[in-house]
Amino acid sequence: MSEKPTVEEYLQNIQEGKFKAYKCVECGMVIAPPSGSCYGCGSSKMEWTEVSGKGKLVSFTVIHIAPDEFAEEAPYYIAIVELEEGTRVSARLLGYDPLKPEEVRLGIAVKMEYETIASGRKYLAFRPI
Amino acid sequence: MPLNNTNIVSAAQTKFGVLQGVSQREMFAEAVDKATIDAGVPKKDIQAAFIGTFIPEMLVHQGHTAPLLLDFAGLKGIPATRHEAACASGATALRAGIMAIESGMYDTVLVAGAEKMTSSTTPEVTEALAAAADDQFESSIGLTFPGVFGIAAVAHMQKYGTTEEDMARVAVKAHKNASTNPLAQFQKEISLEKAMTPRYIAWPLKLFDCSPISDGAAALVLTSNEKAKEYTDLPVKITGTGQASASMNLCDRDDLSSFSASVDASRIAYKMAGLQPKDMDFAIVHDCFTIAEIIASEDIGFFKPGEGAKAVRDGLTARDGDKPINPMGGLKAVGHPVGATGVKQIVVAYRELLGDAGPNQVSKHDNAVVHNFGGTGATCVVNVLRRADV
Repeated sequence: MSEKPTVEEYLQNIQEGKFKAYKCVECGMVIAPPSGSCYGCGSSKMEWTEVSGKGKLVSFTVIHIAPDEFAEEAPYYIAIVELEEGTRVSARLLGYDPLKPEEVRLGIAVKMEYETIASGRKYLAFRPI
Repeated sequence: MPLNNTNIVSAAQTKFGVLQGVSQREMFAEAVDKATIDAGVPKKDIQAAFIGTFIPEMLVHQGHTAPLLLDFAGLKGIPATRHEAACASGATALRAGIMAIESGMYDTVLVAGAEKMTSSTTPEVTEALAAAADDQFESSIGLTFPGVFGIAAVAHMQKYGTTEEDMARVAVKAHKNASTNPLAQFQKEISLEKAMTPRYIAWPLKLFDCSPISDGAAALVLTSNEKAKEYTDLPVKITGTGQASASMNLCDRDDLSSFSASVDASRIAYKMAGLQPKDMDFAIVHDCFTIAEIIASEDIGFFKPGEGAKAVRDGLTARDGDKPINPMGGLKAVGHPVGATGVKQIVVAYRELLGDAGPNQVSKHDNAVVHNFGGTGATCVVNVLRRADV
């Protein structure tokens, strides 16, 4: 966990179902998705950190018209989730009917998991606790 | 200090819409001819060109577009540079033109934008437009452009109680204004009921909340004060210009109900012009989606945060309202050929300021603010314009 983190590894970790965030070596700010410099102190020294996987739903949408690559998955939720550690990520939202988005409440507690599609590809995802 | 030397002496656009059989270079040349020959500005006077176009590589398989377009339009030889900032490409080209004139390097320059989009399929265009978002962290999980604004809409609805009907009213207004604009893609009014048709693109955004896929070009000529007299007695001056950036990723934003780059760019532009939002007679804002107009009307200071939807309901932003917004129909109903949009917005402001907008003329037209927005809001450009005799 001490090597310099890279974007490629960040994405690979998600594919392996082992999400890790960046952490600023100087000030300790947890950052995901990756940034080359800390939003808190500007340092570019980063290391990997584990996160609790708990967070809250900040906002979302349901994609009905998708590019070809995602067309078979539509409609699907995309959400912005704020992790307990303070950083926000974009991810899929599970556990709700995409045709009943009015049932989703912002601010609810969610827990990190992964959505695996037919091709075997994984998306970072969250589900209400 | 207000900018003092930048004058718009001509400004024109092609029709926007599905321009069947018209290539990017042909529509570009048409806009240039309208802004030069037809406006009494000889092409030989143009010393440099700044051109906005977003994704010709993906949509028409053409890179290095600036010299190509310029050559076709009869301007070969002069410096030609392409500017790309997603949907704000046109306004970033304009800013380069402003700096070229203000620096004294040139007396007369061309600013133009063009995009050919309708020769591609909707999924192809959707995928190409997604290049304006962060490919590795957001587009790659299936977030689309309508999705970006869907997320902003949900945040705005939650925070301020904005409704789907409020957004639909923006579409109704846009179509009403465009119904008398012969250059618009949709010259037809729609009812509120029609605007509410539940054909979701990215919930809560429906078909009528979204700007269309369009072809089109726009061009204008900027000159120094001295040179402007050769072409017109009444130029429009650009007195303030601002540009700001924000994170590409939506998830890196603290507030999803406002776009910080719009707030920042507009404050810079107003300060430079020495004016306030209350001094602006009307606004041209980047209504790529209906919610984008509501948020922009707040971000540029026309209304307080959360009061943009009420302003639409109360008719304040109608053509005959106190604070008209997009009186010729906006991106929503006139069309959104991405690279042309930022230049076309200036064309609209120019015509309105001069009193040359026909049935779409606003009653007070001394000062205007123009807001052009790129991608997820990672770039925003705001310009403040004034008729020279004010």
